[in-house]
Amino acid sequence: MASERRIDLYACCFRAPLLIWQSLFFVVPLGFMFIMSFWLVKNYRMTPAFAFDNWAKMLFWEVMWRSYGYTLGLAALTTAVASALAFPAAYVLAFRFSDAARRWAIFLLIIPFFTSYLVRVYAWQVVLAGNGVLSAFLGWFGMEPVSVLNSPVATVVGYMTLSFPLVLLLQTISLAAIDKSLIEAAHNLGCGNFRTVFAVLIPAARVGLIVAALFCFILSFGDFVSPYYLGGSSPPTLSIMIVDSTKSGQQWPRAAVIAVIMIMTLISIAFAAVTLAYRRRG
Amino acid sequence: MTRPLVVFDKVEKSFANFMAVKPTSFEIAQGEFLAIMGPSGCGKTTTLRMLAGLEAPTGGEIRFDGRVMNDVKPNDRDTPMVWQSLALFPFLNARENVEFGLKMRGVEPAERRKRALDWLERLGIGQFAERNVAKLSGGQRQRVALARALVTEPKILLLDEPLSALDAHLVIRMQSVLTKLQKELGITFVYVTHSQSEAFAMADRVIIMAQGEIAQIGKAKDIYRAPANKFVAEFVGRNNIFEGKVKSKTGKSLNVETPLGVFQVPAEGAPSTAAGSPLSFVVAADLVQLSATKPDAANVVECQLISEQFMGTTVTLFLEAKDGSEIKVQIGQRELETINIKNSAKLYASWPETRAHVLAG
Repeated sequence: MASERRIDLYACCFRAPLLIWQSLFFVVPLGFMFIMSFWLVKNYRMTPAFAFDNWAKMLFWEVMWRSYGYTLGLAALTTAVASALAFPAAYVLAFRFSDAARRWAIFLLIIPFFTSYLVRVYAWQVVLAGNGVLSAFLGWFGMEPVSVLNSPVATVVGYMTLSFPLVLLLQTISLAAIDKSLIEAAHNLGCGNFRTVFAVLIPAARVGLIVAALFCFILSFGDFVSPYYLGGSSPPTLSIMIVDSTKSGQQWPRAAVIAVIMIMTLISIAFAAVTLAYRRRG
Repeated sequence: MTRPLVVFDKVEKSFANFMAVKPTSFEIAQGEFLAIMGPSGCGKTTTLRMLAGLEAPTGGEIRFDGRVMNDVKPNDRDTPMVWQSLALFPFLNARENVEFGLKMRGVEPAERRKRALDWLERLGIGQFAERNVAKLSGGQRQRVALARALVTEPKILLLDEPLSALDAHLVIRMQSVLTKLQKELGITFVYVTHSQSEAFAMADRVIIMAQGEIAQIGKAKDIYRAPANKFVAEFVGRNNIFEGKVKSKTGKSLNVETPLGVFQVPAEGAPSTAAGSPLSFVVAADLVQLSATKPDAANVVECQLISEQFMGTTVTLFLEAKDGSEIKVQIGQRELETINIKNSAKLYASWPETRAHVLAG
């Protein structure tokens, strides 16, 4: 008995820092935010209350749901595009590169994270603006200048800037970890190169591929920088609505409602994704 | 003589900085159980992988059923293989694993399901068909891998050390499963192993490879009784190897001078019978007689007992001759009881001349 208790204590010592950190900086603020979503704003001042006004207002506000659909759709689109674009690149890095070359590629994929995301988004402004690099480039070929800035396309470009290197990195690592004999076994059983991708590689790397997509979705769904600086805030994403709510009339409680809705959405999607990733048959 | 199923014609494989397989030629007959055996790094697995198309030969020609295979992709060959790691698909259950090859060949779902279940049933694991392969035992997984390879009814089955991960008692069981299957199906098995007992127990013929070359090819018994060279004699084990020089020739025998004295061996097979030329010969451990008194025989070695190894009804005795070399003697337990070995400071190993085998190389 005594030894069991000692093991428990020992294990707790390792769990404690994580538990304390998570409670202090995640559970407590989240709880506070949830409580705050029931508060009221009177004369631009927040007053503690237990009223459903904010929830009623936000849940039955059409603008809010349009923004929700837009944010969800844009994040899903980015996830799909990033995953699809990253896969061929990850395939080449994982199977066609030597180990040394792959290490360099992984290193290069980490480099984008050295610079601030905001700086990279400003760089995109220069590229995508009406009188920017892209228009000048098109002009050389005698084409009309285009302004991609302040459009959903620009927002997706920004989201990709944030998430693409990470998606590619996670995909590469999970593909490279596949037991090579599985691929040989597939060939050996009459499966061609292209078919092996769908019959073996994607199922074998499923966890990594889903986690990569999940990260892309989470980063895009909650991002404020790209929809604001590249998308021009219109239509607004949920993150922009949060900022707007706090700025206009000190509506922190309404912002809290949006934030709670966003977190519940992310928790459901993350849970579904992880369940899908680790689902086992038989 | 029917046409051989597989022909290796001066096939070689070199990697960036070394020659894994030196130009090698051999044939595999239809329905033969061939074992390729050798120490690790001898090129046996590379040879097998070239047959499956997983490595491309850098020279020579591989023919399968009359067709040159050098440039045929692995997925266009019908050479299913069983891996050492088994390489079962972890995301599929046992039945789906077996169905994989059929699916790739475009067999209808109902039909391939039936054939997969038939095979799982045949190998005695029908009740685990819907189970995830990760939840099966080593022996069960082994059978899934076999079923997966055999379900497409190939002409040949390649096995790359398939039993090396199993417990000893399972190895014996799987050996009988494999030999029985091979007899029933009548297809060719090519079995790569480093285990002499596996190779000798199952194979019709054995190839022994060393450093990318065939050291000897032949029936298990021939390799055991008449090793072609010193490498094979040592690899096969349980052999006493004597090295010396030819002293003289009398009729059909040679007198060989070794550090342990002069021995008489048959002249047949000797690389040179000229006096003074080097000569090695082996005497298998089970052909040596042991006695406590000096026998009246031509080939006798005086030695001391060092240790014993019991293997059921037979015993292997390790003795030391006066020059420090080891003499191995394998005798039956009952026979051993008639010799008073414990109380004898000196023992005498002896053998008739005809039991010595002269090494050609």
